[in-house]
Amino acid sequence: MTNTYIESFPAEAKVVRAAFYSSFLALAIGGLFGIIQTLHRTGYYRFMDSADYYTVLTAHGVLLAITFTIFFLVGVFTWATTTSLDRPVEDIRFTWAWYGLMVLGTVLTAIPIFAGFTDSEMSASVLFTFYAPLQGHPLFYFGLVLFVVGTWLAGVDWFRSWWAWKQEHPDERIPLPTFMVLTTTLMWYIATLGVAAAILLFLLPWSLGLVESVNPLLTRTLFWFFGHPVVYFWLMPAYMMWYVLLPKISGGKLFSDPLARVVFVLFLILSVPTGIHHQYLDPGIAEGFKFIAMTNTMFLLLPSLLTAFTVVASMEHGARQRGGTGYLGWLKALPWRDPVFAGMALAGLMFAAAGFSGMINAGMNINYLVHNTFWVVGHFHLTVGTAVALTFMAVTYWFLPQVTGKALWSRSVALGQVVLWFVGMTFMSNAMHRGGLLGIPRRTAEPQYEGFEFEAAVGSVGELDAQIALGGALLTLSLVLFFANVVGTALNSRSDDLPANEYADTLSGPSDAPLVLDNLKLWTAIAIVLVIFAYSFPLLSIIERGGLFGPELTELPVSIGLGLEYLWVTTVSTVTAAGETAITIIAGVSS
Amino acid sequence: MRISKGALLIVIAFIAPLIVELRTVLAWVNVELTLLESAVLGIGLIGVILVWALWPQEGTSESAG
Ligand code: HEM
Ligand SMILES: [Cu+2]
Repeated sequence: MTNTYIESFPAEAKVVRAAFYSSFLALAIGGLFGIIQTLHRTGYYRFMDSADYYTVLTAHGVLLAITFTIFFLVGVFTWATTTSLDRPVEDIRFTWAWYGLMVLGTVLTAIPIFAGFTDSEMSASVLFTFYAPLQGHPLFYFGLVLFVVGTWLAGVDWFRSWWAWKQEHPDERIPLPTFMVLTTTLMWYIATLGVAAAILLFLLPWSLGLVESVNPLLTRTLFWFFGHPVVYFWLMPAYMMWYVLLPKISGGKLFSDPLARVVFVLFLILSVPTGIHHQYLDPGIAEGFKFIAMTNTMFLLLPSLLTAFTVVASMEHGARQRGGTGYLGWLKALPWRDPVFAGMALAGLMFAAAGFSGMINAGMNINYLVHNTFWVVGHFHLTVGTAVALTFMAVTYWFLPQVTGKALWSRSVALGQVVLWFVGMTFMSNAMHRGGLLGIPRRTAEPQYEGFEFEAAVGSVGELDAQIALGGALLTLSLVLFFANVVGTALNSRSDDLPANEYADTLSGPSDAPLVLDNLKLWTAIAIVLVIFAYSFPLLSIIERGGLFGPELTELPVSIGLGLEYLWVTTVSTVTAAGETAITIIAGVSS
Repeated sequence: MRISKGALLIVIAFIAPLIVELRTVLAWVNVELTLLESAVLGIGLIGVILVWALWPQEGTSESAG
């Protein structure tokens, strides 16, 4: 008996394992495209036609930012609810069903993306942001819809577990990991409404030829309604790992359960009404709306700073439990040889750097300096590409034994892997940031122009390119080591000397957290009200100016036009009604 | 050893961001390092760290750490 996850929850462990393996497959293919485009852009090795660059970039973006991250996190969330509620899922067939739907969606989306490499008519080289005017094959959008519906059902699964648990434990606080899953899921439900609307009302009908045109600004705005909060969908599971696993691995306890709850509540209410900060340069949205988005964004720094504080405090507590002393000397007592710890700690550190470049992106005026440049790519390879991806890879070294019942193939290779990612990303991301400051654009196959040279402040553009290629090569090597470990572990035989399936205790526990924090209805209602404040006027004015389907609305067949108008009126009145209900709930709950 | 092997590896890894950012910082005070100079500086620093970490501490046995 070792008390691993697979022993306590054998059926669930299989689903979690399948989700992890799916995410690793996406990571492998996406990573391969990463190095291809790095070598192409920097001019070191160009074996494909530059016209295919967007196909590669689409596959890289979709497979890594959507498929890899989300498959991994549904695995983590399923682990978190079952472990912290200490109960199996309500119906394992339902769990397999949403997993299957996500797989089906991924396959359907991948077909047109990869068809872009062939001579066939089908393609979807629309990048992972897929807003108009880029248009993809209908299958691409259809697959995305199935994938998202799969994640919605996954959320239903986690909520079902919690509801069933609550019946049996009416007076208990929601266990922290489950609390994190539920708040993140609620945020995801609100966020995905934007992308669902963009696809179902506009992009899919447009790609099917049912409507002639769309209003590009509207589809962009709906995309970013979803596109900002999706980053928190990636980040929340990483935060969860920092809160519930990292303290344990450091040898201590989580500093504060109430603070962790506050952080997740803040993300629930502030994640969505900020999306317009990706559109500071879009004409057609008034500066005032952009200013509101900027203000909300700056408030979002608060939960991240709270996280930094809590996580470091928990690590220090752990180090002191292990005999660490001194003002900074305790750092030496941390388990740096443990790849799970070292990987998460390095990921957290790079996230701090990402916070600085993020603040530059978030400032309305200074954003103009870096908008759409390579700087932005440098920034998000620190956030999703490291804070999230490196945390996921590091915790994989803890999760693999839990869901396979087999010992990790090699801890030393694992340690080398996480350190190599850190060093590789340092080189690549630093040069991308600096290149962006010179005005080098992102999403460009050959960023060099006739009769014009980018001028580097320090060194030369050639050196920056070399640094990017070097970093990319180290990252690719790191990925190879990662997969060696995953495969090596899968080939190991079962072991009965594995760590138990446990997460961190707390120094200040849930009883110190005000009850209102667990009132999910209240926070959801506030989140909806904030979204309505931030979005209803911008959306209305975008539609007023550019039309629902672009200025050519009159060309629509009358029946479709009338139908859509009806749909629009209904939507507006539903949203207004929802807002009023939400306000009533808030008034009711808080009085 | 003064620090554990794991900690040593991490400290060495930290030389990467240090050297990479140092070039930019020094440029502000008009010290322009070439790539080669940066690399030599980085390797030198790693050497110093290795010597410091591996130098036997008085009164502690080799196996400690
Ligand atoms: C082997 C490691 C990786 C390398 C070498 C790499 C390289 C690159 C490069 C050079 C670009 C910019 C291309 C351009 O704008 O022209 C890019 C874009 C991107 N990368 Fe990576 N990357 C890696 C890993 C990752 C990871 C782990 C993630 C996320 C989990 C990620 C997410 C993205 C996204 C979302 C884009 C933007 C795509 C777009 O502009 O549509 N990358 N990558
Ligand atoms: Cu954003």
